[in-house]
Amino acid sequence: MSIFLKSQPLPALLLCSIAALAACQSAPPPDQMSRTAVETAPADLQLLCADAAAKQAGLERAKVLPTGSRPVEAGGFSVDLDASGRKFACVIDRTGVVKSVQAA
Amino acid sequence: MSRTLQKAALATLVLTLAAYVALAAGTQIYDPKTRKWVDYDKNTARKYFARNKQVPDAFRRQVVTFRTAEEPGTIIIDGNQHFLYLVQPGGQAIRYGIGVGREGFGWAGIVRVGRTAEWPTWTPPAEMVARDPNAAKWAAGQPGGPDNPLGARALYLYAGDADTIYRIHGTPESWTIGLDVSSGCIRMNNDDIIDLHSRIKVGAKVIVLMQGAALYKGV
Repeated sequence: MSIFLKSQPLPALLLCSIAALAACQSAPPPDQMSRTAVETAPADLQLLCADAAAKQAGLERAKVLPTGSRPVEAGGFSVDLDASGRKFACVIDRTGVVKSVQAA
Repeated sequence: MSRTLQKAALATLVLTLAAYVALAAGTQIYDPKTRKWVDYDKNTARKYFARNKQVPDAFRRQVVTFRTAEEPGTIIIDGNQHFLYLVQPGGQAIRYGIGVGREGFGWAGIVRVGRTAEWPTWTPPAEMVARDPNAAKWAAGQPGGPDNPLGARALYLYAGDADTIYRIHGTPESWTIGLDVSSGCIRMNNDDIIDLHSRIKVGAKVIVLMQGAALYKGV
């Protein structure tokens, strides 16, 4: 390794750095050991959006159902909501803070 | 129809089908032994269960953080991720792994537990009797027991006062947890459905989330 470091210092340092990073990589915790090809918002975030839409529109929460969700570029998720035929779009961040609710 | 319009219609159809297939499939699990994500389909699931005598870590019962305004005791089903949550006090939930409806049998809605049963009799609905010879032989009802498809317990889901014909139930095929395999019922392994049954009350609210659902109930 010392010969390699003397002759090729930059690539060697890069390789060592990558090796160190790989060694530090740990398995995800048990509750995150599955994933899907199409990422949807976690269930609790979808329902926080439903709750926010119900409050904003003066609707009964039991009538507002999340029907779709997807990640947004700014981070967080966009959640589609249906309230007995009335459509809403909600944006929520990953910590559960609702950023916006709009009629769709 | 002009050739351009035909091409556009075909492209739309292909994209729609591709999106549907992507939604219907695509679960992966993390294999701690190889440190790799692997596709989780029927073959993988059957082999994993035969080797480990249990489902992958992600689908085992565990307490997780769950931020919600729903009351403790509410059941929330995430059909896409194959999880059932039972809301607990203090921003937590018990999470169980589930199997859900296969392509075209997924549904979503807001319903309630109308009644429950221990070691329930399974009576296949008429549509299932018509399409499935295995179901047809039990058209008059299969008594409860270890081979019964409903497993150890069943929670019967109602929309208002009407039975939706959907249930949350146990299964003798534990390896199917984490897959899209059922005719629309939510299946859990028997230990988990016994645990869930012991914790819930008749009347409990059940919210079923399923992106790309074929059907909606109770909303």
